[in-house]
Amino acid sequence: MTHTTTGTHLASGKTRPLGAPARLAKWLASERVFRLIPFVLVEGLFIVTILIPFALTIWISMLKWRANRPFETAVFSGLDNYAGVLENEQFWFSVGRTFYFAGVAVALELLIGFFLAMMVTNCTRSKKLYTTIFLVPMMIVPIVVGYNFSMIYIDSGPLNQLLSPFLERFGIDPRIRWLSHPVAAQWAIIIADVWQWTSLTFLIFLSGFAALPRQLINAARVMGASPMQIFFRVQLPLLKPAIAIAVVIRSMEALKMFDPVVLLTFGGPGTSTQTVAYFLWEQVWQFNKFSFGAAASILLLFLFSFLIFAGIFTIIRQRNAIAGGR
Amino acid sequence: MRRALSLLAGLSLAATLAAAPAQAQQDPVAQRAVEGAKAYIKAKNLTNPKLTILLSSLYNNSFPDFTKKWEELTGVKFEIVPLGYTDIPAKVMQEAVSKTGVYDIFNDFPYTMPDAAGAKVILPMDDWVAKYKPDFSGIADGLKFQQYYDGKIMNLVNDGDHLLLTVRKDLLENGQAKAEYKQKFNKDLACPDTMQEWKRQAEFFKAKAGETKWGVKFEKDLYGALGYRSINFSYRHFPAYMKGLPFDKDMKPRITTPDGIQAIKDFAASVEDMPKDIQGWGTPQIYPFWASGQAYSAMSFPSIMGFGNSNPQSVIKGQQIACLIPGQTINGQLVRRSPQAAGTGYMVSAYSKHPELAYLFIQWFTSPSIGDEAVAHPKGFWDPFRQSNLTDKAILDRFGEQMVKTTIENSKYAASLLLIEGNYEYFNILDKNLADVMNKNITAEEAAKRIEAGWNKVTNDIGLAGQQRVWRKGVEQGIYLDKF
Repeated sequence: MTHTTTGTHLASGKTRPLGAPARLAKWLASERVFRLIPFVLVEGLFIVTILIPFALTIWISMLKWRANRPFETAVFSGLDNYAGVLENEQFWFSVGRTFYFAGVAVALELLIGFFLAMMVTNCTRSKKLYTTIFLVPMMIVPIVVGYNFSMIYIDSGPLNQLLSPFLERFGIDPRIRWLSHPVAAQWAIIIADVWQWTSLTFLIFLSGFAALPRQLINAARVMGASPMQIFFRVQLPLLKPAIAIAVVIRSMEALKMFDPVVLLTFGGPGTSTQTVAYFLWEQVWQFNKFSFGAAASILLLFLFSFLIFAGIFTIIRQRNAIAGGR
Repeated sequence: MRRALSLLAGLSLAATLAAAPAQAQQDPVAQRAVEGAKAYIKAKNLTNPKLTILLSSLYNNSFPDFTKKWEELTGVKFEIVPLGYTDIPAKVMQEAVSKTGVYDIFNDFPYTMPDAAGAKVILPMDDWVAKYKPDFSGIADGLKFQQYYDGKIMNLVNDGDHLLLTVRKDLLENGQAKAEYKQKFNKDLACPDTMQEWKRQAEFFKAKAGETKWGVKFEKDLYGALGYRSINFSYRHFPAYMKGLPFDKDMKPRITTPDGIQAIKDFAASVEDMPKDIQGWGTPQIYPFWASGQAYSAMSFPSIMGFGNSNPQSVIKGQQIACLIPGQTINGQLVRRSPQAAGTGYMVSAYSKHPELAYLFIQWFTSPSIGDEAVAHPKGFWDPFRQSNLTDKAILDRFGEQMVKTTIENSKYAASLLLIEGNYEYFNILDKNLADVMNKNITAEEAAKRIEAGWNKVTNDIGLAGQQRVWRKGVEQGIYLDKF
């Protein structure tokens, strides 16, 4: 049948024009266009999922609008919201507190994760079992972690029961108010975060240890280096990229700390555990101050971007230094 | 035994629900709603009509029993979208922005209503109220007027969550304690009439673990009082301490007045009689603690009594007495104010495809007969609030006659929390500063100044004139009981 048709075309000396779908298919199949398709898709996704929402956020940040008024009533207010954020002392306290939480929590997670990874690496038995156990906290849903810790922290709860023999020996009231004392509540959040996310640093360091070149360590040992020297002069420098990755990934997450705050203290008592993510959530979803929240989030984006890019730059520099050394 | 009890409870629930059509027949309000729904469906020629409700997840185990009944009566199916009550206001505001029309009814505290009304995501019900005539008789003013915002009916309520004081019967009626109290304070030991008297009783009824007092050996510490003192809860209790309204006629905060500062001091001082960690506690901690018998008194939602009687691990079954909310002495008169701390209301979405049908369900559900069934539902969290509850056997059986009588009497003193736009921000400012005073970070005077400044900022940000108008209208209507 096809042959017949083609024969007819040839016989008449004319080519039947292609339909629109066929023309489109032919055009898409052309080498010039085909190469552009992935680029266009990626750019399209970038525009739809990042650029447009970002532009909308900037626009909303320049309006005077609370969601308890219809959007149609919003008016342009220039940089008023930005000024409002910069003048808001709660914003700055939240930023400071976030850095404090992130700094302490990430430092502890790095130390504990590093120590655990080192122990498991050197473990001769049940290595897989320990690895699995230490990875479990990371896999638990944050809301479950939050609820469990809220029960653990009750003043007559298991944590205080465990601590009481030691505290009573020093004449300290064993009923520590983990969730209602301004300082204890901050530590309650840090401990919950450390418990859950040390798993991640452990995993990063574990793979870091596994990737260490055995020849270098063996060579150092043959040359008479002590275990301490091997650790500080050989292993630790080689683990710097893993450390930098752990620092950047965990810092990025810790700066967004939200779940344990909501689940354990709702930012309280007072504002003593209010992080910047909680501050934003409260302003936007509790108080309906969408424009104010948009301005605050843009300011934070610049602040955090600077820090994160500095971290990424550090990783690249470490990697280049090691590559150069080789 | 447990199986037999479960069977009995199941049978009684089935019998209650089976009796619903008969009761609804006798209840013209419910009947009008059913007939109205049928007529609406016919007039609009709807096939498979459906309503969607954004429901507080607390009611996920009880509400479906009523939507099934509604479907049997009218043919209207229901889709229930359960969500934690803390997330509902944000969801409502999302709908205000996105206008999807996926919800027909919003269920939440009445305090979600002002912002929702301001954003025009809920509809006034006045025309339907005029047409279908719901019955608000038997509901105390403070609860009834909570249905209004800016003079319009924007939600119908079916819950009396005004604060109640519950005390331990075994201690209150202990002969030795009564004698000692009388000797010490020259006053009979009974439900406290004033907040000061409650404080005095809370201080009196403190005991250390191992101590024997009034012939009772206490295995664990006994605290004098329990109350909500955490973020998101303090503001619900504070009005019981405040003499009069939080703002004057021009919306100037009264918190810096001597009354306001004293209220902050009294509120903060109350934590001395409570467990040390009380500022971190919500219902999941307070209710079991009360049931464990480690406190003499608890100011709480009325359902705490039900918990104390029905929780399997409770050691205070039958040992509770419901008391009227203690009051304040103002110009020589005892003035009680029981803050309506939570409550449950139902609002019609402005983007519903069938708002009138949504309203008709709300009228049916909040009607005296169906509303009473809801309050009696064993898995529900609706508390008694209507005069008809006093004669409803199922409600009396569930809550106990003494509690129902007291809470209905208490509803006369039920006053709404702030029902103006931005109320959650006003509440939050109050909460945070109260926490700072309770933690002794700042003085009551400093807190009052901060609260005043914060409240003024919110008022000006939203718009002074509009806030003043709605505030005055609410006060004049009687939402807060107190007047200017």
